[in-house]
Parts: sequence; structure tokens; C-alpha cells
Amino acid sequence: MPRSRQLAAIMFTDIKGYTALMQQDEDEAVKAREKHRSIFNSITDKYNGKVLQYYGDGTLSIFDSAVDAVKCGIEMQLGFREAPAIPVRIGIHTGDIFFSEEDIVGDSVNVASRIESLAVPGSVFVSEKAYDEIKNQSTIKATRLQAFRLKNVETPVVVYAIANEGLVVPRPEDIEGKTEKAPPATEEQAPGKKSQPLLATKLFTPPPRPNAVARPRLIRRLNEGLSGRLSLLSAPAGFGKTTLASEWAAGSGLPVAWLSLDERDSNLTRFLTYLTAALQVIDKDIGKGVSDMLHAPQPPPAESILTQLLNEVAIIQGRFILVLDDYHIVDSKAVDQALGFLLEHMPPQMHLAITTREDPQLPLSRLRVRGQLTELRVEALRFTTSEAASFLNQAMGLSLSEEDIAALESRTEGWIAGLQMAALSMQGRADTAAFIQAFTGSHRFILDYLAEEVLHSQPDTVRNFLIQTAILERLCGPLCDAVTGSEGGKAMLDTLERGNLFVIPLDDERQWYRYHHLFADVLMARLMEEQPGQLPGLHRRASVWYEHNGSPADAIRHALAGKDFERAAGLIERAWPEMDGNFESAAWLRWVQALPDALIRARPVLLVGIAWAHLNDGEMEAGEARLREAEQWLARQGNGDQQPTGRPAGMAVTDEAQFQGLPASIAIARAYLSQSFGDAAGTVKYAQHALSLLPENEYIMRGQAAALQGLTHWASGALDEAHQALTDTMSYFQIAGNIQFALSVTYGIAEIRATQGRLNDAFSNYEYALMAIAEQHKAIPRGTADLYLGLGGLFRERGDLAAATLQFQKSEELGPSLALPDWPYRLCVAKARLKEATGEPEAALALLDEAERLYFRTPMPNVRPVAALKARLWAIQGRLDEALAWVHTRKLSADDNLSFLQEFEHLTLARVLIGKYHSSRAEETIIQAMRLLERLLEAAEEGGRMGNAIEILVQQALARAAQGEKALALAALERALALAEPEGYFQAFADEGQPMARLLREAAARGIMPDYTGKLLAAFDAERTEVKPAAIPTLTQGHPAPVRPLIEPLSQRELEILQLIAQGLSNKEISERLFLALSTVKGHNKNIFGKLEAQRRTEALVRARELGLL
Amino acid sequence: MADKNTTIRSGSKQPTAYQVRLRGHLSAQWATYFDGLSITLENDGDTLISGPVADQAALYGLLRKVRDLGLPLIALTPLE
Repeated sequence: MPRSRQLAAIMFTDIKGYTALMQQDEDEAVKAREKHRSIFNSITDKYNGKVLQYYGDGTLSIFDSAVDAVKCGIEMQLGFREAPAIPVRIGIHTGDIFFSEEDIVGDSVNVASRIESLAVPGSVFVSEKAYDEIKNQSTIKATRLQAFRLKNVETPVVVYAIANEGLVVPRPEDIEGKTEKAPPATEEQAPGKKSQPLLATKLFTPPPRPNAVARPRLIRRLNEGLSGRLSLLSAPAGFGKTTLASEWAAGSGLPVAWLSLDERDSNLTRFLTYLTAALQVIDKDIGKGVSDMLHAPQPPPAESILTQLLNEVAIIQGRFILVLDDYHIVDSKAVDQALGFLLEHMPPQMHLAITTREDPQLPLSRLRVRGQLTELRVEALRFTTSEAASFLNQAMGLSLSEEDIAALESRTEGWIAGLQMAALSMQGRADTAAFIQAFTGSHRFILDYLAEEVLHSQPDTVRNFLIQTAILERLCGPLCDAVTGSEGGKAMLDTLERGNLFVIPLDDERQWYRYHHLFADVLMARLMEEQPGQLPGLHRRASVWYEHNGSPADAIRHALAGKDFERAAGLIERAWPEMDGNFESAAWLRWVQALPDALIRARPVLLVGIAWAHLNDGEMEAGEARLREAEQWLARQGNGDQQPTGRPAGMAVTDEAQFQGLPASIAIARAYLSQSFGDAAGTVKYAQHALSLLPENEYIMRGQAAALQGLTHWASGALDEAHQALTDTMSYFQIAGNIQFALSVTYGIAEIRATQGRLNDAFSNYEYALMAIAEQHKAIPRGTADLYLGLGGLFRERGDLAAATLQFQKSEELGPSLALPDWPYRLCVAKARLKEATGEPEAALALLDEAERLYFRTPMPNVRPVAALKARLWAIQGRLDEALAWVHTRKLSADDNLSFLQEFEHLTLARVLIGKYHSSRAEETIIQAMRLLERLLEAAEEGGRMGNAIEILVQQALARAAQGEKALALAALERALALAEPEGYFQAFADEGQPMARLLREAAARGIMPDYTGKLLAAFDAERTEVKPAAIPTLTQGHPAPVRPLIEPLSQRELEILQLIAQGLSNKEISERLFLALSTVKGHNKNIFGKLEAQRRTEALVRARELGLL
Repeated sequence: MADKNTTIRSGSKQPTAYQVRLRGHLSAQWATYFDGLSITLENDGDTLISGPVADQAALYGLLRKVRDLGLPLIALTPLE
């Protein structure tokens, strides 16, 4: 069915609460709908409206003008008002629509629909565009509400309510919608905006070109290919792939979902988000569940999301085409795999078309063999002689001879961009023959030759415009005006589009364009070659425009590109608070590093920002150096060499507010440094100084100062005070509205709780934080990976090693970009402790070596130094020499003064001494160990560190047992068990191996806490333990029953295959699904069964469910 | 290519300079586009783009630029 485009006023209406009414009183609902229909039909008729669609309780209609549509809307509402009144909402917008008999699409339709859903019953809402048409009508009154951000619409839309008598005009605050106060954002990546709005321009189907050459041979092939799955248009730039795809799609009579890809779509989540949005053009209900999945703190695997999406697609009535334009730009294995999965499982009503400059990494040969692939490559896409003739002589209005055409066709080898440039060069030229002769005789690269010709044949105004705007990634009228310093940018863009001068519209409204990439490259090369002197000015003006239009990232990009460092420095200075608030100080620092050092050193605000960025990365010396420079500036304030402004000469400040806050910020940085170097007195001094400088409502900085004091308490072992201070910190950050900062405190709070022996509380801390993230319905904040890491550690403590493994995997999948800077170090430590629990000390030691390499100083007290963790493993392995060497290096002795920071080291020393006693039987050693443990226990109990007390008691029990003091050993063990049981501790005992097993058996035999000892013993007697069904610990149960852990955890791939086995897929199906050889799948199965200690699939599944792997 | 040796890091095992042969004559204005690599026109109608390439990633970046311009690629040779 041919589709056409029309400019129209679009109206949506619906009955608010119809579904609910339907449930309450079906008759009433049907009556309401009938009244709605009858009023709607008669009044629509009266104003020459055309009804395009009825759906349930709603309608979609179009009118020749907004005036008609609004008058119609007013009259309807007056009708609906009469008893029995029906609550109808009406929304109107004007714009281009594309429609066939039963189908209507276009961004404008989307906008109209969204405006309608903002409206309240009894009201008529119109967009600003529609308002512009009606504002001079004396019979229509309207009130401006405000700008709203509409779903899937890039720029905010200003909405008006019709205010004629009898119509409802709501107060703005009564409207449910996202308001937008800032000027329209032009680029999505304003720095630090984690949840980015979708760019509607990416979903815009390029309209068919009015004069395009008909290519029936290709269209026929593509239409025939619709019965297959994939159409692939693969050829270099300039072969008309996009044009062909849009012509074909528009003429296919099928609805089209279009997605123009860009570099950022290499991010899988972003790709899937846009894919979903593109499919919503086909049916707006698609992907409702998916968008929540995509925004979950831990998005499920791509395949789950795609499966959900495809299930929703499968119930759509009728077929449609999904076009992925410029797929070559995506450079990501993950996206390739997702697309491969999509292709494999696509329901029959969907057809995929891809345009690309290089073949995609998809199973093309398999599709080819199955006859599911239609390929159009260079050979097919290049213009034939007759197509070239029709293009040159008809579309471009030249009158060339057959020979001329043949010569051009042969010289360009049918390259369409080349022919287009040749035609542009010849338009309005008398001596076309001479041009053709010169061109065909030249060896020069066609693009070079012709671009020059095209540019020369343009009037100076056009030529200058093209070259000057070459620096822009996207163009709109006002931005072009700003850059060129003249007016008429919008008109020029229209002219370029009409003149086929390689501009591509990016939206329906013809607001944003871009140059064809090929042409943009030519223009940029020419600008740099011909007028390099102009570059700084052009970039500067682009930068200023972006600065005033709400896109600081673009403003900075242009300032740096134009080497306007002064300007860039000011912009970067102002960007700091927001970037810092989003944990993006590393990205911010990359901007700074593009600035000359002299300039940085003149700016105290910048210096303090840099200091903080370094401190966040553990670069204490570099950070302190910058801090000192800033302090020197502040010290010179009020001294001799003043400027008239009262500032020291040579100092530069752009952001006055930040400058005023510098003394406090510096004091906090000093406290941070002090705490990092273990100087508690310094920390407290600087933190209190900061607090004395800060106003009450400066919550972020007050929070930071409180946090540092909390860490000082923590380091001194005053855990209650530390907990209080960190909880205060969290409240400060919450009041300030910075969820990321607030969440980052969770780790410390939960760690403190674990040290206090309060595992249940620690679990709640992490769960609460993860729930808060899930509920915010925004992108995942940085620091989330740390939460999974902490949670996994707690699972390990409880002996649920499978769950711990899964949490660590989740943490790793989120990766460093969603983690705090020292996460890589803590990940290694956590994984090492897991390896220790699974009985792989060598792997654990290797991970600890890695951790040592990754460690850097932070203000977080280092309560378990890596070296001590290594010594502990050596002691367990019986590698006494190495363990003793560590004792020597650390100059540890059983008679040392004790401190909380050294508690773990001293406990490890006790272990080493007990180990030494085992080999030497020297009474002296065990006495030392006992004396040390006794003092450690006293200190831990006094400080309320019951988690540590459990570990100490366990060592006491083992030491007594080594001495043969069974009764004393059991007494210590019983105390440990009593503290441990309510909190579900497990690994603290399991880690101790056979000596502990013997003690536990003894305890069980004497009836000491039989349930608990029984559970613990089960782990030591893995062979004799029966498989217990569904013994999965759940977080709500206080003390879960641990499950016999896996000796070796499953790999990511093995888990993936396990999922598919659970879905009942055969090995062959699994191999197809995962693009693996059958033998590979079988090999994986063998490993999975081995690790799960299962013989058959069913057995493996039972065991996997038990372990919580499924 | 005069400054080639000064910019190549010594001691690396990977080739650090490459030459790309393209069909057609490319004008010198593309030198900036190709990050300052030298552009030489051959008598047989080919163009040579040559110079230091930092690593494999930079090499793929160079090939991508060639692809994006739609230049017919004939050969890629490491320079020792």
C-alpha cells in the first residue's frame, strides 16, 4: 500500500478511567462510549475532520487546520459536559504524518497522543505548534501551561490549555507529567545526566526523496525477500543504502520501525532501549515490561529482555519491518550477539533490514543456506547506466548525451554519491562536455575532485556556510546562525536539503540536520586546509551557543577543539559540582588534562577540583600538591599584590559560589588526607574546621565532614560512634538529593555491622540500598557494583557460596564504571576469600597478590590488610616459614599493645603461633598464643566487636584442643557458637578444616547446640550428606540452613547452558541458540554435571535449584 | 616521512609504521584527516598513506577512516 505524507492537525481523544468503569459497570461504560462516539462523529464531521482510527474508548482523527481541530474539540467538550457527563480528554498537535489505509505513524502522532494523555477530563490541550495557528483567533482563548518532557520526544513540548467558557483549565501542578524548566536540551549527554532522554531523531524514518530514481529491480528483490528474515544492504558510503531502504519501506505497505544507530549504541543497554523504542512505533504497548528490566539495577541478560520483547511482538496483528540503519557504527560483540539472538527467534510478522558499510557479525552463511537472507551489495546497489541516465537527466534536470552518461557511469563505477556530486557540479554550467572530459581524464579520487567542483559551483554564501558549519555534529538554524555569525541558517538548511546538498533531516519538524558523513569529512578536511585560522572562532561560537542552550559537555568539547583554553577552563570549572556529584570526576579530569598547566594553576577552584579527583583515585601526593597550590592562592587573599577586585593578581575565578566554598572544601580534603594516612587527630581537626565554616544547609559538604569523622571513629574501634556518624552522613546526602553519595555510605555501615557480629543488619543495609535503587526507576547509580560485592561477602560468611558467587558475578557484570574507585581491589579480596572457602588456597593467594597490586589508600580503615590475609592462608596451609617471615616483617609480638586497626593482624599472629606449636610442640608458643587471644577477646568484647570475638573464640578453642584441653576447648567453642548462631555464621567455622570438625563432633556428642553443630558438620561430611531439597537460605529467615557448597563454581557459560537445560532445550537446540558446536556443548555439560556431582540432567537440575543457581 | 623515526617508540615488537595503498589520487588536504600521516601519489594512479601508527587499535582506526571515505583499499604493508 503506498503511503503518503501530509501536514495535518492531529487530535486524540479518550475517556478517562474507561477501563475501570468497564470493570465496575459494563452497561454504564458502553453507554458512555456510545455517547462519546455519537458526539465525536457528528462534530468531527461538522469540522471536516477525518477519523483515522477508533480504539476501545479512544479516537484518532485529523483536520485540515488547527483552528478546525480546536473548534471541534471545544464543541465536543461542551457536549460531553451535558449530563450524563463523560470524562473525555482531548489533545491536539500539528505536524507531518505518514499514513496508509489502516496505519498512521510519525513523531507528530506520538506527540499528539502524549499531549492527550497529559490532559484532564473536560480539557483540550494543544501543543505550541498548534497554538501558533490559533493564537490570532478571537473566538479561541488559550492559557500557557508549561513545557513538558514527553516520552520518546527529544525536546520538551510547551503545552497550552484551551480556556473557552465551559472548558477545564487545570493548574499546572495538577497535571501528571514531567515538567521541563530549562531551555530545550539539544544534546542528550549533558554531563552527569545518568538517565538520558531518548533522541527522537534516532527513530525518525528518513522520508522518501521527492525526485529519487525509481529502482524497481532492487525494490522487487527486497519485496521478495520479505518472506525471509533478513535484508542486508552492505556497501561503502555513498551507494544509496539508506535512501533505498526508506523508499522500499515506505512503499512496502507495511509499518516500519526505524533505528538510526550511532557510536554510543555499542552500549548494549542503550541499544536495547532504542530497539524497544523503535518497536513502540509499531505498537505503543510493546516493551512496557522491558523498560523496567532495562532500568533495573542489574539488568537481566540481553536474551531475557529480547525474549520478552519478541513475545510481545509475536502477538501483534500484521507484519512489519524493522530497519537498523548504519549498523557498521556499532562496534560491540554484545550487540552483535543480541542481534543474532533476535534474528534466530524473530516471530514471522517481523522482518529485519540492515544497512551497513561492513558485513555484520551475524550467522550470514547459515541464513543464506536457509534462504532467509536477501543481500544487496555494491554490485546491485551501484547505478546502472539507465539509472544513471534517469538520475542525471530527470532527477537532476541535466540533458546529457548517452556517451556522456556512459563516461560518467564508468568513471564513477556507478557510485551514487559521485554521480550526485558530478550532477551538482554540472548544474547551470554551459560546458558540461568539458567538465566530463576533464573529470573522466583525471586520476584523482572522485570524492576530492567532485567535492571541489561542487563547492566551486556553489554561490559564495552557500560555500562559506558549508565550510563554516563543518565543525558541527548536528545542525539547527539557531546554532548555524551563531557559528556563521549571520542570519538565515534555517533557510539555508532548507535550501541545502532541497538542493540535494547532502544534508539529512533528523526530525519531522526539520529542526535538526546532519551532513552526509562523507560530505562532512570532505568539508572538514577543506576547512582545516583552507581556513585553519577560522577554526578557533567557529568552535568558540558553537561553544557559546551550546553553553546557553543547556549542553555544557558540547560547550566544553567545542572550546577544547578550538583551543580556547580560557573559555574551556571556565566551563570546566563550572561543570565540577555536577560531575563530582555523579562520581564522574575521572571524566572531568580528562577535560582538565587538555588544559595548559599555567592556566590550571591560576584557578584555585579548578585546583581544588583536581585535588579531589586525584584523592578519589587514591593519588594522594598529586592531590595534595594541587591542594597546596590552591591554599597558596587563598593565603595571598588580603595580602599585598591585589587587583582592584581585591583578588591576588594572576588569580582567575569563574564560579564565584564554588570559590566562596573553597576554605571548607579544602578543609574536608585535608581531613580526607589525614584519615587516609591514619592521622585521627588531624582528621577530626580539619573536619571540625570544615563544619565551622559551612552553612547549615550545605548538606553535601557537611555529610563529607561527618563521614570522615565517622571513619576516624571506625579506625579507632569506636563502632557505635562510627555507625552513628555514617548514618548521619547518609541522611545529609539524602536531604541533598544525591542518591549516589547516599548509597556509597552503605558499604561502611554494613561493614561496621558485620564487625559487630550483626550479619542480619548488614544484610538489611545492602538489601535496602538495592531496593532503593530499583525503586528510583532511573539508571543504575555508580556504587551499585560495590553493594553486590558486599552482599556476596555476607553470603560467603553464611556458607552460601553459590549465592556469593552469583552476587560477585553481578558485581563484575556491572563493572568498574558502576563501582567506586577502589572496587577492583576489594573484588579481588572478596574473590580470594571465596576461593579459600572452596578449598583453593593457591587461587586465593594469586587473587591476593593481584589485590596487593590494586590497593590504594582511601580514608576507609584498612582493617584486613592483604599481607595479613596472605599470612593467614599460609598458616592454614602449614607454610610456617612464610607466615613467620610476615610476623617478622610486621614486627608483631604477642605482647604488643592492642588496637582495633591491628586486631586482624594480631589474630593472624595467634594462628601462626598455634601452627608453630603444632609442629614444634614448644609450650612457650601456645602460652603466648593463649595470652594474646585472651587479651584480644577482652578488647573485642569491650568494643562490641562480636564478629571478631567469634573468630577469636574459635582460635581459642583450637588452641585449647591443640593443648589437649578438651573441656576448655569446648567451652570456648560453645561461646563462639552462641554468638554465631542467631546471625547464621558458617564460614567462620568451616574455614578451620578438620581440627574444627573434630571439635564440632565432640560438641554434638555432648549435646552442645545440636541443631547448629549438625548443620556445620554437614559441610565437613560432604560425602555422607544427603541432598536436601530446597534448602536455600532466604534473607527474611534469620538463620538459614546452609547448603553443601559447590567445590568449584560454574562458569558464566556453564550457568548459561544450565538455564537452557532447565528450559528443556536439547543439546542440539542449545548449540544452535548459543552458536556453539554440538561437541562444545557436550563438553560444557560434562563439566556442569561434574561440578554439580550429578549423573543426569534431572539430577543436575535438582542440585542446581537447591544451590539457587536456577 | 622525515619525522617518522622521531615519533616511533623504540623497543616495541609490533611494527610501528604502516603504509596503506589506495586506488585513486587523494589530495594533500586529507593529511589532517589522517592525523598527519604522509600522503604520496604514485604514478600508477594509486595513493600511499604512510607513517607511524601507535598500536593495533590505531591501525584499525586508520582502516575505519579509509572505509568511511569509501576509498578502494589495495594493500596494507608494515614498514620496518
